[in-house]
Amino acid sequence: MSSHTDAARTLGVGILGAGPVTQAIHLPSLARLGDLLTVRHIMDVDPAVAESVAARVGATHGTSIEALLSDPEVDVVAICSPHQFHAEQVIAACRAGKKAVLCEKPFAWNADEAARISAVSEETGVPIIVGAMHTFDPGWLAAEANWGDLPDTAHTIRSSIVLPPNARFEDFATEIIARPASSTPDYTDPEVIKGMLKGGIMGLAIHDLPLVRRFTPDFAEVEVLEARIARPFGYIISLRTPTRTIELRAAMNNTWKPEWSFEAFSDDASVRVDFTPSYVQAGSAVATFSRAGETAVHGPFDHNGYEGEWRELTALATGTRQPPSARTLIDDLTFALDIAEATAARVDADHKAQRAVREGAHA
Amino acid sequence: MSPKYTVHATPEAREAGAVALAVSSLPASFGPAGSASAAVVRVIAGQPGWTAGAIEAIDAGARGIVVVNPAAESVEELRRAAEASGAAVVLDQRWAANPAVAGAEDAVRAMAGRAAVLDSVATAAAGSDSGALLADHLAAVVRLTGRLENLRVVTTGTHGYTVTARLANGAPVALQGILSGARPAGVDITLLTDDGGVSVALPEPLAAWPARVKVTGPQGELLLPTLYESAHRATWRRLKGHLDAGTAPSDLHRFAALTESLSALS
Repeated sequence: MSSHTDAARTLGVGILGAGPVTQAIHLPSLARLGDLLTVRHIMDVDPAVAESVAARVGATHGTSIEALLSDPEVDVVAICSPHQFHAEQVIAACRAGKKAVLCEKPFAWNADEAARISAVSEETGVPIIVGAMHTFDPGWLAAEANWGDLPDTAHTIRSSIVLPPNARFEDFATEIIARPASSTPDYTDPEVIKGMLKGGIMGLAIHDLPLVRRFTPDFAEVEVLEARIARPFGYIISLRTPTRTIELRAAMNNTWKPEWSFEAFSDDASVRVDFTPSYVQAGSAVATFSRAGETAVHGPFDHNGYEGEWRELTALATGTRQPPSARTLIDDLTFALDIAEATAARVDADHKAQRAVREGAHA
Repeated sequence: MSPKYTVHATPEAREAGAVALAVSSLPASFGPAGSASAAVVRVIAGQPGWTAGAIEAIDAGARGIVVVNPAAESVEELRRAAEASGAAVVLDQRWAANPAVAGAEDAVRAMAGRAAVLDSVATAAAGSDSGALLADHLAAVVRLTGRLENLRVVTTGTHGYTVTARLANGAPVALQGILSGARPAGVDITLLTDDGGVSVALPEPLAAWPARVKVTGPQGELLLPTLYESAHRATWRRLKGHLDAGTAPSDLHRFAALTESLSALS
């Protein structure tokens, strides 16, 4: 158990929102980084959850954002609240003069919000990173260090995700309190399908869309060719830009066997990055390069992207690293939002076409 | 001891089907014939019009026909000719003829009613014919799943293709072709159910490694027995079995379903 006294030289962490992600991902990651960071303040709208989660790490607790942001013990802030609150909370944390801010993805819901956040970050000098954990994974960073011109020459990109329900891995990581209830969607309702696809993009695909964008220089011209759901939850989405074919796959079912991969192919080279599942401590991703009969493997390394993002936040807060450019964060967000919107439009168009066929058949 | 069945192959078929290699690996069963007319088994390449060539060979007295990489076309007339003469016609398909496919087919069909999604990626060297890759790809997938519904090309180009379809239970199917020399050519097929699935990796017929079939369920994952045999040799071994027993292979029947699927695409 940490205490303020023996952790005096570490950076103090304040966390807004104490749901399953905080409990099962961030607290275990921070427990591995006790020489750098100490959790000092936990806020949640549910006072019982805030108290219980804070008690696990010996932190102060409460239901007030203002109290956390004005707590002098808090140096860096992690925003793990529901998505719709991210933008205003990031801005408030910057205005409070904190040393760095980590915001869970997505960090905003539209480009205007993203630009506003960027402006406040620049004005206050508080660095912000978005919790796209795979971009901080040592396996991905090793891929980046070795991929040469592949992002420029790739023509085909795949992101494929097969995951058990979150609860399976949350339970490997911690003892969750206040788990949200799940429900069975109405698969016959186009609005539900649209919601599932948009939720899949902004909640699941978004983990890897920054990776996809690194290999898609003409990302602003992305077009959705087809979008379908897989039951009980998943998506099959075909995208295209003038120079790239992009396929996104995801299936969340009751399997015990996860698979999470990113691939990019050019005419003569490819990279495949196999990520470890979220929540559990399973080391880093492994990057495999293939070039006509030769294979080079990088990793695994000893920590995953969640620990990587906390290490990055520490480096930013202590001034040993420069923050990512605001343009990168904004482009990553707008790429995801554009795909989500275009996917919804694709579903509408398909539904309209199907209805016309049905009505024609009955005419 | 002389081999049981004599063989003659056209030059194109000999090359495409690695006939000498396959036949030499079954030396007690097959051996070269002095001429086409003297051969018990005739091997022809599957370019368009191959069914007419196969009928000619049957009419000339061949008891066994091997067709290497057959292009999609109607096989009705050939089926009738083969049935009338009792000739055995086997198809040496790039991936669908792999000996691991039989076990994979059983595993896939056992789970097909519970399928949530089928995702498959075929790779071939950059510059390959995208249409030929799709035909080989579809042959392998249809062999495992049976007929696909709503088959449609989403996109196709110099770097590959994306094709969409549905399984009989409505689950989405996605087939992607990627033209790249980065990795050895092959096809991966993944069927997911609510609690597991089947994954199949089929190599090129001349690859120095076998296919891999894994079945995943709540109890864990099962690697089906590894069969160290190429698609070419497996085809010839099947032919021998049919010639010995006087039975008729189901290859043409299956191929008719594939041709139907491919013609629905065009």
